Amino acid sequence: MRNDLASVQAFLASVIPGRAPIPDDPALAETAARFVTGNARLTPAAQVDIYRRQFWYRHREILNDDFPALARLLGEAKMDAFCRDFLDAHPPAHAPFRKMIEPVPSFAATWPGFETDAGRTFAADMARYEIAMLDVRAGADAPPLDPQKLAGLPEDAWERARIVLHPAARRLVFSYPVHRLRKAWLVAGEPAILPEAPSPAHIVLYRNRELVTHFEELEPEAFTLFGLLDEGVPLVPALGRLAEPLPEAQQQHVAAHVGRWFQQWTALGLVVDVDLPSSS
Amino acid sequence: MTAPDRMRLGLPDLGIGVGLRLPHYEEIFETRPKVGWLEIISENFLVPGGVPLANLDRALAHYPVIQHGVSLSIGGTTPLDFDFLKNLRALLRRTKSPWVSDHLCWTGIATLNTHDLLPLPYTTDVVRHVAARARIVQDTLEVPLALENVSSYLTYTSSEMTEWDFFRAVVEEANCAVLLDVNNIYVSSQNHGFDPNVYVDAIPAERVVQIHLAGHTNYGDYIIDTHSGPVIDPVWDLYRRAIRRVGPVSTLIEWDEDIPPLATLLAEAERARIVREEALSHAK
Repeated sequence: MRNDLASVQAFLASVIPGRAPIPDDPALAETAARFVTGNARLTPAAQVDIYRRQFWYRHREILNDDFPALARLLGEAKMDAFCRDFLDAHPPAHAPFRKMIEPVPSFAATWPGFETDAGRTFAADMARYEIAMLDVRAGADAPPLDPQKLAGLPEDAWERARIVLHPAARRLVFSYPVHRLRKAWLVAGEPAILPEAPSPAHIVLYRNRELVTHFEELEPEAFTLFGLLDEGVPLVPALGRLAEPLPEAQQQHVAAHVGRWFQQWTALGLVVDVDLPSSS
Repeated sequence: MTAPDRMRLGLPDLGIGVGLRLPHYEEIFETRPKVGWLEIISENFLVPGGVPLANLDRALAHYPVIQHGVSLSIGGTTPLDFDFLKNLRALLRRTKSPWVSDHLCWTGIATLNTHDLLPLPYTTDVVRHVAARARIVQDTLEVPLALENVSSYLTYTSSEMTEWDFFRAVVEEANCAVLLDVNNIYVSSQNHGFDPNVYVDAIPAERVVQIHLAGHTNYGDYIIDTHSGPVIDPVWDLYRRAIRRVGPVSTLIEWDEDIPPLATLLAEAERARIVREEALSHAK
């Protein structure tokens, strides 16, 4: 058996994420003894096992820290089982923890540890929300909107002006109001209970000027418009695309409310610039 | 250039510092305690913006900030991550950290990042491998790289030399600096049964630009470097020995688990200041 650096590292990387104690597996213990010396108190397998246990403690702590509401919902034992299964399915391959937690929502959506599909859907929603909380907190900065720039725009500018939204803002649509429930569980200390029925929600999660993260619930039409603006579609064409598939009553609703939506987004700091391309 | 400056690669002695940790942010920013400098974990600030970088800027307004990393994996066998190094260099431009440190270890392979600091086999081949990578890192980051000795819980059958001989060989071949973690020397000495004084005496003093002090957790058959609890007396003794040997070097108290009130951390930093002063006066 080769004993070069790559072989040593390959062996340790193969056993450190394992669930079972290495000394309990005679074959692994024998292999460990080829690479690791042991000492008077600990066998080679027992020495390697210290790193296996540390791997579990470290990653369990990261998942609990990043998904506190999911952990509250599951309780300690079930959250441990969730973390074990997740790490088996998605062993961390990259240094940034943000990359490690990326698959948590899709994993939660299929995890058999939830008794029902509703539980899986809820957990996936909550995991997406908790990742978005992290992203918004550390997302890119943008200087606030210059009101004079807005006031100085010509009337026809809205046909082609691109409304620049805050780069840290996130649009999220949920089957359950996880944003309100997370706040109730973690801030108000209410018991973490799966709701009896879904209640879809469209929100924008954003950071205010004091860098505090907030959510804002949006009507579905406002949510769609916000998404079109985020894609870089100018306001007037975006309104056209939004209204086109809607029945007339809803079109009128959009027309009546779009001014208020835009004012609200500006007041919240979600609109940070208006980019008017030159007509040439 | 003064003699002490020459000894420390021309890098400044910043006195006693503490690790900047989340539970202490507001109190540090509001009360501005008298510490010489703050150390950050670089990876916590490799983000596009928002709260972490705003907090970093608040720290930078009042303190020198030194960057300390945990994911360089200088002893890894996968290629160096140049995107990571580019981001690290951008952060260095923000912090103006006069040096940057990480660990003499490996953290994973292509398919697994353990997020741990694993020891390397102490062989001539590994010295060459690590030193070559350290030179590239140092050239890329454009500031001196200080490598830190890690605590270890295993030793390899393939090792050909002592840890201190390995450490010395790497930093000399790489021409890089040393971050001497005195607690890690103590932890490894207890885990592997060597005399920690021999280790301290063997370190190339002229390359030591920073010292780490921390607590640990003793499990009986082995000790884990948890950065929990106060520095214990045998580690203070090693620190005295190190200071007498290397001179006035920037020293940091690390406390990452069961993080105490800031006052407790500052009391530990004050103890480090007193011990350092005493050791320096005895060294004269």
